[in-house]
Amino acid sequence: MVDLEKLRNAAKEIVSQDDVKYLIGWRDGTFGFRISPHFMESPEEADKLIFSPLCTNNLATYLTMAEKLPIPRGEEPDRRKVAVMVKGCDSRAVVQQLVEQGTNREEVYIIGCPCEGVVDIKKIEKKFPDVLESVEARWENGQIVLKLPGGEQSFPREEVLAQKCLTCRYPNPVLADTVLWDEVEVLGVEEYEDVKELEGMDSKERWAYWQDKISNCIRCYSCRNVCPMCYCEDCVLERLNPTWMFRSVNVAENTAYQLARAFHLAGRCIECGECERVCPVDIPLMKLNRKLYKEVQEDFQFEPGLDPESKPLQASYRPDDKEDFIL
Amino acid sequence: MSEQYEPNIVAFLCNWCSYAGADLAGTSRVHYTSNLNVIRVMCSGRVNPLFAVNALQQGADGVLVSGCHPGDCHYMEGNYYARRRFALMRELLEFIGVEPERFNMSWVSASEGAKWKDVVEEVVEKARKVGPFDQFRRNKINW
Repeated sequence: MVDLEKLRNAAKEIVSQDDVKYLIGWRDGTFGFRISPHFMESPEEADKLIFSPLCTNNLATYLTMAEKLPIPRGEEPDRRKVAVMVKGCDSRAVVQQLVEQGTNREEVYIIGCPCEGVVDIKKIEKKFPDVLESVEARWENGQIVLKLPGGEQSFPREEVLAQKCLTCRYPNPVLADTVLWDEVEVLGVEEYEDVKELEGMDSKERWAYWQDKISNCIRCYSCRNVCPMCYCEDCVLERLNPTWMFRSVNVAENTAYQLARAFHLAGRCIECGECERVCPVDIPLMKLNRKLYKEVQEDFQFEPGLDPESKPLQASYRPDDKEDFIL
Repeated sequence: MSEQYEPNIVAFLCNWCSYAGADLAGTSRVHYTSNLNVIRVMCSGRVNPLFAVNALQQGADGVLVSGCHPGDCHYMEGNYYARRRFALMRELLEFIGVEPERFNMSWVSASEGAKWKDVVEEVVEKARKVGPFDQFRRNKINW
């Protein structure tokens, strides 16, 4: 059960430790169903922290986003910890960052929040398009209760939860320094129905489907920016010499971009669904990611973001990997 | 169209096995199709799968990546990494609607001139069957 009092007390305690720089959590957004990340540097700010079905943001993204200024000569780098609140999926993102050494285990304090699933903002905003004031939400007996201006309304899970949560097999943090409340029951089963449906088509139909979706892409790069796994300092999208990707917005270049993005997440994507949430033109990006997730699971018996001691998929090999496609 | 369609294949050959194998095919006067544009790389592990996407964008109808047999890599393990990457890239391209026939990988050692000929002919035949690639060809820019 979510216990906000416990969450705030724990946050106060953690942020007042000497070796913690700041804490990243969630707070109410400025309007509607939106939630903002909350960067907390002192215990006084703890009262704004929340955890509700609206906390979709994956805060692991901010671990790698922090600006790294050059260290003046003679000074020691600031090695204090960053505390971060994580749901099950976010904790896998942190684990995967640790595997890739994108984040240092000594410099992160993980606060685990077992989660019963977050809402799909697009689904709710379609139901309630005109809600402007900030909405509160909570889980109750397997249902999602929204405190709307007209009064409370409750919805069954299937109606409002994000797709990734309905098939989520890791609602509890896989790695945490403290877990705030009891672990929740695992309800999701992954069957890859949407991926299999596409696989069943022939290649012409599949291309027609993707062409239709990908031609909408406006190359805002939101999907890359929000992704907790996309933190390369030198990204192929921005390289000019050699030019890996052209910036023109047309089907050809967009496809190359989407292929590169999906491929770079092969064996790394932990299915937090952030790319699809932020996409302004509703490209089903998670289908690409889930397809690769499925293949990685089937071909290499590997799931990313579970074991901090594992090796990255594409930086390791087994001599008996599948090679039925090789001539 | 009276003229027969000739596919344009880009081949990435590793310096130590496949390139030498192709060289052997040449020095032993083996006849095979000339639809191949060979790019020599030091190892099949050097080939980024995005090279293949870029090749398809820029005029190739098919891609062939060829390296040493597993266990024979000059750099011990480069072809193992390549195998993993290309297995995934192939699945992804297939999923997005590119015919898998366009995307080939083979192991050809320095002594397999005859096998090289067979591989090339199979790749060209497959590419000829699926026809010209037109899915995400880069638009020509006329400055």
